[in-house]
Formats: sequence, structure tokens, C-alpha cells
Amino acid sequence: MRDLIKMVVVLAVICTTSGVVLSYVNTATEAPREYQYIKFVQEPSMKAVLSDYDNDPIKERIKLVVGENEEGNPIETVVFPAKKGGKTHAVAYSATAKGYHDLIEVMVGVDPDGTLTGISIMTHTETPGLGARIEEPEFTDQFQGLDVDTAKLSDEGGQVDALSGATFSTAGVIAAVGSALEQFPQIKKETF
Amino acid sequence: MSEYLLLIVSAILVSNIVLARYLGNCPFLGVSQKMDTAVGMGMAVIFVVTLAGMITWVVQYAILNPLGLEYLRTIAFILVIASLVQLVEMFLQKSIPALYKALGIFLPLITTNCAVLGIAIINIQEEYDFMHTVVFSFASGVGFTLAMVLLASLRERFPTARIPTTFAGMPIAMITVGLLALAFLGFTGLVD
Amino acid sequence: MSVVKEFTKGLWQELPPFRLVLGLCPTLAVTTMAKNGLGMGLATTFVLINSNVIVSVLRKIIPGKVRIASYIVVIASFVVMAELLLQAYWYPMYEELGIFVPLIVVNCIILGRAEAFASKNPIVHSLADGLGIGLGFTISLTILGGIREILGTGEFFSMAVMWPSYEPFSFMVKAPGAFVCLGFLLGLMNIISRRRPAH
Repeated sequence: MRDLIKMVVVLAVICTTSGVVLSYVNTATEAPREYQYIKFVQEPSMKAVLSDYDNDPIKERIKLVVGENEEGNPIETVVFPAKKGGKTHAVAYSATAKGYHDLIEVMVGVDPDGTLTGISIMTHTETPGLGARIEEPEFTDQFQGLDVDTAKLSDEGGQVDALSGATFSTAGVIAAVGSALEQFPQIKKETF
Repeated sequence: MSEYLLLIVSAILVSNIVLARYLGNCPFLGVSQKMDTAVGMGMAVIFVVTLAGMITWVVQYAILNPLGLEYLRTIAFILVIASLVQLVEMFLQKSIPALYKALGIFLPLITTNCAVLGIAIINIQEEYDFMHTVVFSFASGVGFTLAMVLLASLRERFPTARIPTTFAGMPIAMITVGLLALAFLGFTGLVD
Repeated sequence: MSVVKEFTKGLWQELPPFRLVLGLCPTLAVTTMAKNGLGMGLATTFVLINSNVIVSVLRKIIPGKVRIASYIVVIASFVVMAELLLQAYWYPMYEELGIFVPLIVVNCIILGRAEAFASKNPIVHSLADGLGIGLGFTISLTILGGIREILGTGEFFSMAVMWPSYEPFSFMVKAPGAFVCLGFLLGLMNIISRRRPAH
């Protein structure tokens, strides 16, 4: 009986200590983990769509609520402001839409007029050689200088040429860019 | 239905758990000298991996996620697997002695078989739903058994082969596995 | 004196994974590049040293019947810590190693050292043992990764080292190459140890 109690106590103490230590480490590393995640996952895309800034957009990132999902939970977007001489001249943020296989996540850069400074595909699982060509500059460069009215397929009154053989992937990117630009008026109020 | 079929083919042949995903190598090389032990180990793995896959899935979505304890996944899963193996061992010993006699000695080895923990983690990382988890875990176990049986049937012939003394034992087994893996590489592209 | 011996045995007599064929999954899986081998080795060493020390500290307190369970909790805690630290300070390596970071917990080397060594020896010796075995494992993985990287991509730590017309032997960075390469290295170890018999 004494042995049994000792076993249970020792195990319980070890588990509790481990839990306390780990929850401390978890809290202590939260900020650096978020920073590293953004730096390595989002920064390459952010750099592709923003230019000519002298601040650290990651450090000065702003979290904004941009609407609600179906369950009524707020949707948050992280906005990266590009500043020069302390004045914001463009912002970058991301939006997603369904492609051919799965979600496509696109980072957009927008200037105060609501014109795109560029887009960059962050994550996608489109077919290599077909849909995956949405990553290539020949495709993404088309979006530079477009706005909410013109960032549409050329057949639908916009100025974007679809990739041949990748209609759904193209549509996914356009939908993501479109939903990002729809959020812009609200983001503009809070950032510029 | 065809979706599950593809998942099964992919788990057994295309991304074979041992030969393509590098999981469960220690027992794979450790107990594949003889056909009957290989089959026994394979069966024990199929059994435990399927059960563990289901339970860890429930632990993740019913306990860890709601409590915001995702970072404790590794520790929670390994404890679940270790206790599960203990329970299975006790249950088999009492209720199905015949099966216990066949699988008993392999069960303790399974706790440190990284295929079991690996599959449990893959289920979560790939965001499989419960049905996919069951199918994928089971098929991966079958893939493990297939690789075990193939290797055991090759290794049973080693005593009659003239192997250079330098390569006798583990080195030649390793190179044989390499050739097996090369054969399995031929399945690449079978499933998109 | 004996502390030094505990340290150096990990570098040759019990060098994992070549002399003690254990911890094969990470050995094979992450050694497509020397850098990943190094990262995996360091993460494993971190867990091994810490778990060895803690197990040694607790060796007189933990009852025999629950020792394996206790060791697993200790090891798993350090693995979770390693995961968090990698995410916070070395994110690219965390991404590269992927699922094999949590799987350090089932690396038989670590549980093996806890059970066979740290549970029976004083703290300093256990520390030396963990450091030696961990360092040996790190060096082995880096060498294996280096060989596969050089042959498979013509680079070493991502720097071109082969002559310009070298055609990369991409077989080496795939799964079959891992097994074959390790097989040849184990064969090589056999030759060396026969020339230099264990004392």
C-alpha cells in the first residue's frame, strides 16, 4: 500500500512539475515564436509586395478585426504598414480563397488610393506545372496597379489574363485579391 | 469511397510508412530476421496503430484544442500510447490468451516504435477527420507489415548467400532495405 | 578520470548510430543535408543531456515499477521544450525537421541511456555520458548528411563543392539512398573496428 501511494505521488509530482515548467516555457516563447513565424512565412511575401520603406513592418504590425465568420467569431487580419519618414505609404495583408485543390493564401500590398502595389502567393497546393504557375511573376505582376474594379478576369471587364489550363487556380487568386480589396476601406481608416 | 481507396493505396505503396516516410525503422530492422516474428510484429503494429490513431485524434480534438494546450501534444500522445499498450497487453493476457501468445512479446516494443506516434501526429497535421484517421492509420499499419514481410522473406535467405564478411549483419540488411525502397519509389505518381 | 571515459565512449566505443544501431528514423530521415543532420543532432543532444541529468537526480526517488513511465514523462517534457525553443529561435530548422522533432521522444537512444546509465550513475557522470553520446550522434548525423548532400546535390552546407560538370546523384537524397549510404557506412565501420580492435 505504501509503495502504491509512493508511486502515485512520484508520478503526479513529476507530471505537475513538467506541466508547470512547460506552461512557463510556452508563455515565455510566445512572442519570439510569433515573430519567427511571421518572419519566415510571411516576410518573403511581404517584401515582394512592399517597397521603399525604412521601418520594420513586422514589429509595427497591427491586428485588426475585419468582420465575422459564419459562427459569429471575429476574423482577424494582421496588417504590415510600410513607412518612410514615419508616414505610412502602403500596407500589406493577406486573404484566402478556394483554388482548384485547396485554399490559396495571397499577400497583397495596397497604397492609400486602394491600388495594388503587388501581390504574392503565400501558400497553395495547386497542381505543379498547371495551377502552380500562379506563383510565377508573369502572372502576379499583372496585378500591379490594379484596383477593386480592374482586378478581375479580362473576360469579366477586368485586366487579368487567366493562365491557360488553370482556370480555377486563377479564379482562386482573383477571389482572394478581391476579398482583400473589399476589406481595404476599413483597414484604411485604421492605418493611414 | 474512391477517396478512401486512394488514401489506402497511397499509405501502403506510394508513401510507405517505413520505406518512404522513414518511420518505425528500429523494429523494422530489429525483428525482421524471421518470417513469423515479422508477421507477429506487423499484426501488433496494425492493431495498436489503429487504436492509437483513433484515441489520439479524440484527445487532440476533445481535450487539447478546447483547452488551448496544443503545445503539449507530444507529451499527451506518448502517454496515451504507452498506457494503451499496457492496457492492450493486460486485456489480451486475460481475455484472448491465444492472441496474447502470438503478439505479447512485441507489444512492449511498440511504445518506442516511432511509427505509432508518427502516424498519430500525421493524422493531426494533415487535418484528417475521424474516418480518414481510422483508414489512414490502419492502411499505414498494413504498409508497415507489408514492408516487414518483404524484408523478412529476403533476410531469411541471407544464411545461404555469400555475403562479404564486411557487410554481414546490419550493413547488408540496410542495403537490402535500400533496394526495396528503390522498388517502392516506382509507385511514385500512382496516386496524385 | 572516469568522467572523461564516460564522455569519450560516446565518440567511439558506443558511437550511435554506427556502433549502437539505434535511433535510425531521424538518422535516415533528416540527413538529406549536413545542416539538417547537425540540427537534429543538437536537438537530440539537448534532450539527452537534460533527461540524463534529471533521471540521475531522481534515480533514488523514482520507484522501480513506474520508472519507465517517469522517464517517458521527463523525456517528453524536454522534447516539448525543444519544439518550443526551435520554433522561437530557429524556425527554418523547425520546418526542415518537421515531424521528427516530436519524434525525438521515441528515439531509443534517449530512453536507452536513461534506463541503462543515468538511473544507476551520479549526476556528473550522467551529464558526461549524455554529452558524449549526444555529440557522437550529432557528428555521425552531420557526416551522413554531408555525404548525402555532396553526392546528391554537389553541395556541402549549401555551398558548391564539386566540379562544375558534376552531375548530382539525386538517388542519394531520396529514401533508398539513405538506407544504402548508411549500409555502406556501417560496412566501413566494420572494417575500421576490425583493424583497431576494441581494448
